[in-house]
Amino acid sequence: MTSHDLRDVLNLPSDHSSTPRPSKKQRTGPGRPNLKGLAREVQNLGGDNPIAIVPEVAVFKKRRVISRKPAARWELRPFTNSARGDGGALVLRHWRRKTDHDAPPDAMEEDGEPGPVENAADGERQVENSTIKTEDSTFAKFNVDISIPQYNDDQYRANLERSDWSKEETDYLLELVQDYDLRWPIIWDRYDYSPQTFPVNGEAVNGDSTAVVPVKGEQRSMEALKARYYEVATVMMSVQKPAQYMTGPEFQLYETMMKFDPLQEEARKEFALNTMARSKEEAREEESLLLEMKRILARTERFKEERRELYQRLDYPSTDVDINTYKTSTGLQSLLQNLMNVDKTKKRKSIMAPGEGVSPGTAVPPTAVSEAGPNRRESIAATGPSHRESISGTPVTPAEPTPKDTKKKGAAPAERRKLSEQEEQVYGVTHHDRLGSGPTFRYEKINKLYSHKSGQQQLRITNALGELDIPARLAMPTAAVTGQFEVLWSAVTALVDLRKVSDRLDADVKVEEHKKAERDRARGITNGGGDASSKDKSVRKDGAGLNGSAEKSDERRTESGMAETKPETRPRSQRSQHNDLQNGDGGIAAAEPKPGSGGPGEGANVDGAPAEVKEGPGAGEREKLGPRPSSSGAHKRSASVLSTISDKSAKRQKK
Amino acid sequence: MAQQTLSSAMPPTDIYGGDEVSALVLDPGYCQTRAGFAGEEMPKQVIPSFYGHIDGRDIFGDEVILPRANFEVRNYMNRDSVVEDWDGATKIWEHLLCKRLQPERPTPPSKNGLNIGDGDGDGDVSMEDASGGGAENSVGDLEKPLAENPVLMTEAPWNSAKAREKAIEICMESWGCPAFWLSRTPVLAAFAAGKATALVVDVGGANTSVTAIHDGTVLKRSIQRSPIGGLWLSNQIRSMWETSDPRVDLVPTFMVENKKPVEAGAPAEARLRNFPFPIAPSFRAFEEERVLTEFKESVVEVWRGPGRFQPNEDYAKSQPGRVFEMPDGSNQMWREQRYRVSEGMWDDTVAFDQHEGRVAKSQTIPGLIKAALDGVDVDLRPNLVGNIVVTGSTSLLNGFNDRLNQELTNMYPGLKIKIHAAGLTSERRFGAWIGGSILASLGTFHQMWISRKEYDENGAGIVEKRCK
Repeated sequence: MTSHDLRDVLNLPSDHSSTPRPSKKQRTGPGRPNLKGLAREVQNLGGDNPIAIVPEVAVFKKRRVISRKPAARWELRPFTNSARGDGGALVLRHWRRKTDHDAPPDAMEEDGEPGPVENAADGERQVENSTIKTEDSTFAKFNVDISIPQYNDDQYRANLERSDWSKEETDYLLELVQDYDLRWPIIWDRYDYSPQTFPVNGEAVNGDSTAVVPVKGEQRSMEALKARYYEVATVMMSVQKPAQYMTGPEFQLYETMMKFDPLQEEARKEFALNTMARSKEEAREEESLLLEMKRILARTERFKEERRELYQRLDYPSTDVDINTYKTSTGLQSLLQNLMNVDKTKKRKSIMAPGEGVSPGTAVPPTAVSEAGPNRRESIAATGPSHRESISGTPVTPAEPTPKDTKKKGAAPAERRKLSEQEEQVYGVTHHDRLGSGPTFRYEKINKLYSHKSGQQQLRITNALGELDIPARLAMPTAAVTGQFEVLWSAVTALVDLRKVSDRLDADVKVEEHKKAERDRARGITNGGGDASSKDKSVRKDGAGLNGSAEKSDERRTESGMAETKPETRPRSQRSQHNDLQNGDGGIAAAEPKPGSGGPGEGANVDGAPAEVKEGPGAGEREKLGPRPSSSGAHKRSASVLSTISDKSAKRQKK
Repeated sequence: MAQQTLSSAMPPTDIYGGDEVSALVLDPGYCQTRAGFAGEEMPKQVIPSFYGHIDGRDIFGDEVILPRANFEVRNYMNRDSVVEDWDGATKIWEHLLCKRLQPERPTPPSKNGLNIGDGDGDGDVSMEDASGGGAENSVGDLEKPLAENPVLMTEAPWNSAKAREKAIEICMESWGCPAFWLSRTPVLAAFAAGKATALVVDVGGANTSVTAIHDGTVLKRSIQRSPIGGLWLSNQIRSMWETSDPRVDLVPTFMVENKKPVEAGAPAEARLRNFPFPIAPSFRAFEEERVLTEFKESVVEVWRGPGRFQPNEDYAKSQPGRVFEMPDGSNQMWREQRYRVSEGMWDDTVAFDQHEGRVAKSQTIPGLIKAALDGVDVDLRPNLVGNIVVTGSTSLLNGFNDRLNQELTNMYPGLKIKIHAAGLTSERRFGAWIGGSILASLGTFHQMWISRKEYDENGAGIVEKRCK
């Protein structure tokens, strides 16, 4: 019974008119194969639902293709191996397919280049062999040789003489190295050097030779052999080609061989031996210890992670703050004001201080903040952490608008992959304490440095830079260049400041001298000598000067004990005194002698260190001089020395 | 299909690096001498190194060693596997390489007896002429039977320089080989296992040796050997049979005319043959060895643990035993004894004392391995222990590898130990020969051969210089 019949019985519409499944029919229609005969009848039994008959496809193994060509001919063909290096004396024979007589050259060429030398060598044989050329083995090309250092007698005597290695033994070592292709275990295994000169010495030197023989006879360690070979190799390498002319790989090899340390190798081998000798329990214990260590490390890592998370969370502004303050328009206004303040000053941390009041952030001395350019950065960096602690410690006030960017900054890097230092350099990633909003040019940063200086100082700095042939505006302000420039700039600034100080000291000295001269004159004491300055001035203080007529002669007398350069400096020091009055901030007294060569960047950088060291005494001097004009002579002298130096530098600057 | 195209084209040098030059490989040992063509996987000819000497002439091969009058069995080697009897060696090698491996050469027409009639009546003259004329040819032929074939020979690693020179002399002078090479058996055994760096444990017939191979070169300081091989084991069995109660008589097969089945442990009921001539002791020993070999193959086993055999003897007794029937029909079940005889290889205290059976502790297999490893650089040791190649017929004892592994694990607990022992019996027996076959058929090996010219120029001493 087919589906057709069923449809008839159930009065269903016939299949042809059935709309629901036209697509299926279309699909099956063309898929049915055109069958013939009985197969079609059987297929038809199924009606519209074809019976699933898997047609059997009779595929037999294909008939073998028998070529009509005659069987391939093979011949026993002689060949040589050029790698033997015996000029083709050994002719071996192997079976090769016989090629047509037209083609033999081709076949030979693809096999390998027929060595002309060998062919020439056994020319007679070729004639005998009915002009069949002997080909070279395909495998000859796999022969490789190492090159070992060569030396002649003179070179050996000049460079390689050692007390514990004779030339013969060194030759023997190099021969072994050549024979065993630098395979050290084998070289060491076969190393069996016995000095042949021993019997020649005869009995006269018998006692001597027996003293020598045990030393020679005792087995050299592999490290000793290696060390000697590397020594010979490096020396000969540098003799043939000095190290500075070597190419990269050559030098690398040279360096590697140079650095060979037999003692370290021996120690390493001893370690290896101990490792091998340990028992199973020890091995297991060590393994478990390693595992334990790994676990501890992982735990600390996790702990750190958790702690950081905790800190971050503490940095957040608490969400339950009262936002009612901001509901009024004035509150909103003040918030805006606050935010703008943050933007303007870009002092993320220290701006929070006024809002907080109680924070130790305010404890940062204002002098530190208002300090001159180069130190500012450090001071801010220094205040940073202390403030952070304060936040974690104290409840956060609602007015605090800060940590929005902090939390963003803190949260984001945790997800990011940590870049290695090298990668950071490649991608140009740098880290900053804070960044201004929007892009800035690097040279602007430099301009900013100037903005805090007075016009006079700016001029001086520019002069100093001009003297060093550095343009005021950098031609190529890359990060590195800018950094170096900043260093240089700070050095120059320090120098200028220093000069300022020294000038002032000069002026002070002069004033004191005037006073002293006045006093002396008033008292009428006219004993001369350079030791006048060493006497205690407070003793003579009571007679503070009235008469100023004899000023000049005394001045000359006192100065005779000091540097001769003094007189010429006077006019300028007076002028600098004027400068001091003009910008009389409590400038740092970083005393720095003039950088000797006046070279750019690095010279200044190197000299920066002593500058800092000198800062202390300089400041102390100034303090002493300030409130108590009557200072000891020693101080005066040192100050004057300083001043002369700085004056010299100033003079050079002027030039 | 693919195979056909491959074989009909050029040989696939890029894959195998092979380049056959119809070299012959000869692997002489104390018990057997093996010979065959390089590039094949098994030696074509394996004959005992024992040869028969009867009435002043030597006969070779297993099939000729029969009970005869005035028959004596000799061996051309000494127990160190170094050739001693060079006359015998030359003859047996020639018998193998020229007679057995080469097709029979046709007798020259002048001598085959068919051409006698064509002289003009004076047979004597023509005979003399013929022999005189043919003498050069035949002598040339005889003197150069291997003019076509390079020969690769193996040697024990402790072979003497004199023996090596003698070997090349025979090959070059007597056989006229175009090229020659001498290689040490452990190197070749390592090659057969596909390794260039290995610690080769070769448990052979007369000797057991442990040698470290680095990059295809023997490390001389690592060479260790001891007599605990197949013959030593045979002597252990003899000792056991002599001391057991009741004493077991060793009657070789050729002595037995007929026998009746008897109960286990009952005395044998067999009639022995009587020979009208005295049987040489050497022949009897050779025949006894056959029985002992059978016993080793079917009964003897290596105690594979737990622990060593001695403290576990009672436990060993509970293990299933094996029945062995002697040639005369007496049979017996062997239980713990079959472990005991081989235990001396591992534990010097257990061995039987008779027949020089007891060896020093350093001569046991663990001792040999330890000494061999101590003789090489410490950097190589882990690599060697990870590449242990076991070869030699006696290593086919049941449980040998398990025991070796156990001993090594005890000795070097921190290292990774890997034992490479061929699964096929024949590969284990002919390890050195197979390695030689591989080596001699390599295309890159052709530059190594000592050629005839080099021999002519430098003399026999060249073998010391080249085959290091």
